[in-house]
Amino acid sequence: MFIEIISFGSSTVLFLILGLVMLTGRRDNLPKLMLAMASLASALWSGSVTYQAAYGATLGGESYLLESTLLLELFRSLAWFAFLLAMLRTAYKASDQVNKHFKITFAGLSVFVVGLMLLVLYRVSGGSYFEIIAGNDVLIGHLLISIGGIVIVEQLYRNTSDEHRWALKYLWIGIGGMFAYDFYLYSDAFLFQRIDNELWNARGFIHAMVVPLIAVAIKREMQWSLGDDSIDIFLSRRLVFHTTALLASGAYLIFIGFGGYYVRDMGGDWGVVAQATFLFAAVMILAVFIFSGQIRARLRVMIDKHFFHYKYDYREEWLRIIRTLSADSNSSLSLHLRSIRSLAQIIDSPGGLLVMERENGFYESDERWNYDAISVRESSDSSFIRFLAEQQFVISLDEFEKDPDMYTRLGPLEIPEWILNNKQAWLVVPLMLQDHLLGFVVLLRSPAHERYFNWEDSDLLKTAGRQAASHLAQYEAVQALVSAKRFEEVNKLSAFIVHDIKNMVGQLSMVVSNAAKHRNNPMFIDDAIITVENSVNKMNKLLQRLREGTDNDNFTSICLCKLLEENLRNCSRAGALPIPVLNCVNQNVMVTADRDRMSVNLAHIIQNAQDATDDSGSIIVRVRTQGKFAVVEVEDTGVGMDEAFIHDKLFQPFESTKGTMGIGVFQVREYVNKLNGHLDVESVLGKGTVFRLHIPLSPSQEVTQNPHVVHLNERN
Amino acid sequence: MANPKILIVDDDKGIRTQLKWGLDGFDVITADSRANALEQFRLHHPPLVTLDLGLPPDAEGTTEGFATLQEILKKAPETKVVIVSGSEDAGNSEKAKSQGAFDFYPKPLEIESLQRLIRKALADYQMTPQK
Repeated sequence: MFIEIISFGSSTVLFLILGLVMLTGRRDNLPKLMLAMASLASALWSGSVTYQAAYGATLGGESYLLESTLLLELFRSLAWFAFLLAMLRTAYKASDQVNKHFKITFAGLSVFVVGLMLLVLYRVSGGSYFEIIAGNDVLIGHLLISIGGIVIVEQLYRNTSDEHRWALKYLWIGIGGMFAYDFYLYSDAFLFQRIDNELWNARGFIHAMVVPLIAVAIKREMQWSLGDDSIDIFLSRRLVFHTTALLASGAYLIFIGFGGYYVRDMGGDWGVVAQATFLFAAVMILAVFIFSGQIRARLRVMIDKHFFHYKYDYREEWLRIIRTLSADSNSSLSLHLRSIRSLAQIIDSPGGLLVMERENGFYESDERWNYDAISVRESSDSSFIRFLAEQQFVISLDEFEKDPDMYTRLGPLEIPEWILNNKQAWLVVPLMLQDHLLGFVVLLRSPAHERYFNWEDSDLLKTAGRQAASHLAQYEAVQALVSAKRFEEVNKLSAFIVHDIKNMVGQLSMVVSNAAKHRNNPMFIDDAIITVENSVNKMNKLLQRLREGTDNDNFTSICLCKLLEENLRNCSRAGALPIPVLNCVNQNVMVTADRDRMSVNLAHIIQNAQDATDDSGSIIVRVRTQGKFAVVEVEDTGVGMDEAFIHDKLFQPFESTKGTMGIGVFQVREYVNKLNGHLDVESVLGKGTVFRLHIPLSPSQEVTQNPHVVHLNERN
Repeated sequence: MANPKILIVDDDKGIRTQLKWGLDGFDVITADSRANALEQFRLHHPPLVTLDLGLPPDAEGTTEGFATLQEILKKAPETKVVIVSGSEDAGNSEKAKSQGAFDFYPKPLEIESLQRLIRKALADYQMTPQK
């Protein structure tokens, strides 16, 4: 009795303190409030038991206190359920893919507890504490409550994210331990149809021990954000197995309880012996069941089949893969590193090595994550690379070690030494781009999880590998394009240098050869000086351009009407027909651009219109403003283009209806785009075409609204 | 007999000046742009034109040069046009010939070899039936 007082007394005090502490501070957090309630309910119940023990109301006695103690115990259980269910509700909120089966199960559990309380209320009208508590229906109720508690706690523990598990594991261990002890106590009571006094007395201490564990969890998770969505609790598929196994174990123990009871009652003199033998056999069967990997695997498959169609939640997995691969450009992790991680996270691998194909035809180590530094070089002719490229299989090194034929019957395969030497190497995932092996990733074994690897893992990894490969290929293509663009710039620059040097060499060598004949002619000397001066100017320009690079646009403010007047005058001088008519709807339309390049591009569009139009047709060039843009509109009455030509060919370089190079419109569009403008085209086959160049206006220009039409053919 | 007329089209003033002195057996007319070249051509009808492909405003490209070639041959297809270019692009030579140019002379210019080519072109011109 003394032990019982100390045991339950300590539990009372500690839970009371915990409950009061939890009531301080913010109370708008539901799980926090529920934890306070559960703690106080535990304190109340423990206090009631202590009071009974102290004032002589023993377990075998008969008083209202005993009955209310019994109810208080159920109330305590309900309070803890409420807390755990509040936590689970957070989990439901965090993830909408929680299986319906669980929702129904947990809703059922809470209904069950209330039902049980009603049953107890009904029973307390008579009978001793033992009779009530040992009544099989109530005992089974207690057993189920404890099993349910363990199930929920385990579920919550398994699904607490790694960063919060550090703190919250103490909470789950504490509450789980409390329910586990209840399970032990009541299963023993159920088997032997009596409550063991020692076990009962220890119960107070056990409960008291839970309080410091909960306190540690609270201290570690100071913000007590259990109810916030900030805690990443979500239900995982692996959990289904553990929960179900646990439920199965509980059901099994209840079953053997019935068996033991039946054997003892019906066994006569052999009763105790038969019960012991039955119990031993039952425990043996349970042990075999628990430790049999095959049975567990079958059970897992069964659960997978019945609870889920697939091992993975593919939507979640795919979103996670894409999220990892497409991290924003500010991410400090390279795409190559992210590719490894996107694959590793699927199967909880802690690291990996990315090996990529190089231009020299070898596959060489590229990026690594938690993988020992290693220099890898695999020939594309090796059986390993050929196997990956042709079979496009994820190679499990465990499987290969156990049963190499499984792989080699598909084709020759020799795993490279550097992979075999790394005992942590687990899987090789090919990165396929269509039918080409872009590279592969060697993933490390997870030390924390024992994972079985099946076709579903393989398929998901293979598909994720393809996704990673397309991201990597796109990245490589962009890099190659940047290099090509730089190379093109250098080419342009060198072409320009060669062109100018040739001109200078030409004119200077001509000066020398002409001098032999005309050296005494003062006019030649004057011209020779002009030529040399010209060369010097050219050399200076060349030097300046070399300093500036290739993009040597000389941006100035240009009046589009004046530039077009000049252009059209040249046009009419050249004699090309029809001669365009310039209509400046707005005067002084100014844009900022390189004058020469703008002139060439306008000339391209006008020449295109002339090429497309009969000599008897007409071309009108309009200049106006529209918002922040200057618009140059070139309208002809030419042959026009159909939609397919505009869509597929007009803006492609080297495409033309005229049989010429057809680079004009492409080049014009590129230039206008470069000025942050755009080029539109409207055309009707057989009727004509309108090209509109939208070019940003110079910031400080003023536009007058006086229409001004210039007929160049009249001027000239 | 008057010297044969030659139209030199080049945007480089030094080239034009020295070619005038170097081709002293010919009546040399010069032009620095497409419009100017077509105007001079209309005025003088030269049997031979040396044409630089890089003309302003597209001095670094070839569009103005090819446009000039097409316009000249449109007006007088019998004209011998010798393309003179510093471009390294071999495609320009093929393209020029396919568009009716007599020959392609790669820069840098060298007077004697250019004179030989001009004479050959003029001889060819003599053989061509005139309109």
